[in-house]
Amino acid sequence: MQMIPLHLAAEGMVLAREVCRNDSSSTVPVCGKNVVITGELIRRFDLMGIRSLYVKGRPIVQEGEPTLEAILKDLDCRFDKVRNDSLTMKVHEIYTAFLKRSMGDDCGR
Amino acid sequence: MEDRQNDIKNVIMDTKNLPTLPGVIIRLNALSEDEKSTIHEMANIVTSDQVLSARILRLANSPSYGFNRVSTISNAMILLGVNVVKSLALSSTFLEIMEKNSLGLWEHSLGVAAAANLIARKLALPECEEISTAALLHDIGRIVIGLKCSKESEQIIQLAKEKQIYLSEAEMQVLGTDHAEIGGWLAKSWFLPEKLSDPISFHHDVTLSTNHRIKVSVVQMADVLVKASGFGDSGDIYVPRIQQEAWDALGMTELLLSEIIEELEEKLVDVKNFSIEMQA
Repeated sequence: MQMIPLHLAAEGMVLAREVCRNDSSSTVPVCGKNVVITGELIRRFDLMGIRSLYVKGRPIVQEGEPTLEAILKDLDCRFDKVRNDSLTMKVHEIYTAFLKRSMGDDCGR
Repeated sequence: MEDRQNDIKNVIMDTKNLPTLPGVIIRLNALSEDEKSTIHEMANIVTSDQVLSARILRLANSPSYGFNRVSTISNAMILLGVNVVKSLALSSTFLEIMEKNSLGLWEHSLGVAAAANLIARKLALPECEEISTAALLHDIGRIVIGLKCSKESEQIIQLAKEKQIYLSEAEMQVLGTDHAEIGGWLAKSWFLPEKLSDPISFHHDVTLSTNHRIKVSVVQMADVLVKASGFGDSGDIYVPRIQQEAWDALGMTELLLSEIIEELEEKLVDVKNFSIEMQA
């Protein structure tokens, strides 16, 4: 999941969270989770004053953001002390798979 | 080593240098012991301190607890329970110090509380809010070390980096005790119930807890997950071990853990936003 400014939203991206109006005191959503973004939807969000969205995966490379390789390397370092502990290494495996899924080739870029 | 440990214990438990507990908390404690007192009376005591009330409500509405419509202290007392509100009030001074001076540790603690809440809900455990509170406070001993032994605190961090060891190992070498034990002393001196003090004292070794093994195991698991994700800065570079006893106590499975990790990553985005909001 990635939070992106509305001007970087593009057709085909998928909303990871409901979109709510910024100026509303209520939390009634104006668009639901899992909706595929279209050009029309982006225009409507703009008219409603919505400035950012949460989208699935990490479709936008933001300046200064570490690469998947760097993140996986850091993850490896953090697990240095439990390398021989098969139970704790399950967490490592699950995190690695999660990061590859959300930042790798199928993350919507 | 025992003498050294006793010296440290005396220094740490010397309340002269610890932030004083507001009178409101002392009155709240007394009232909560009285069987005839009502939630309304206790809420009135807390609301007489506006700053304290605001902090409790902000925490109750944070992603670490998962509520988002707790608008009054009476509500918080009903939803979180009197004990949770009491422990949040007791620790509010420390949480404030943590928030201002140890942003990394503050974010780590909020993250562990959110993770513990998520695990507890997934496993349908009772008293999820008390588990969140225990998780929020699990590293409170680190704040005490920073406050009472600032010179040693720097030594500990340096030693952990140089020798590439866990912070608690460095604490043992420098102080003869560690943050978990120190946190436990503090929890006892505040008369926190065992279900809150056990996770503080035993989150690195769940086998030491006999009565609250499940709560302690949740906090250990949550601590490992947040350290694995690299969220916040607990001071430890390395992820600690999950004990088989903790895994078994929770009846954890790989599938459930995958679901928890996926949901946790989303929650941590909210925790970060909450932390930024609190700093503003």
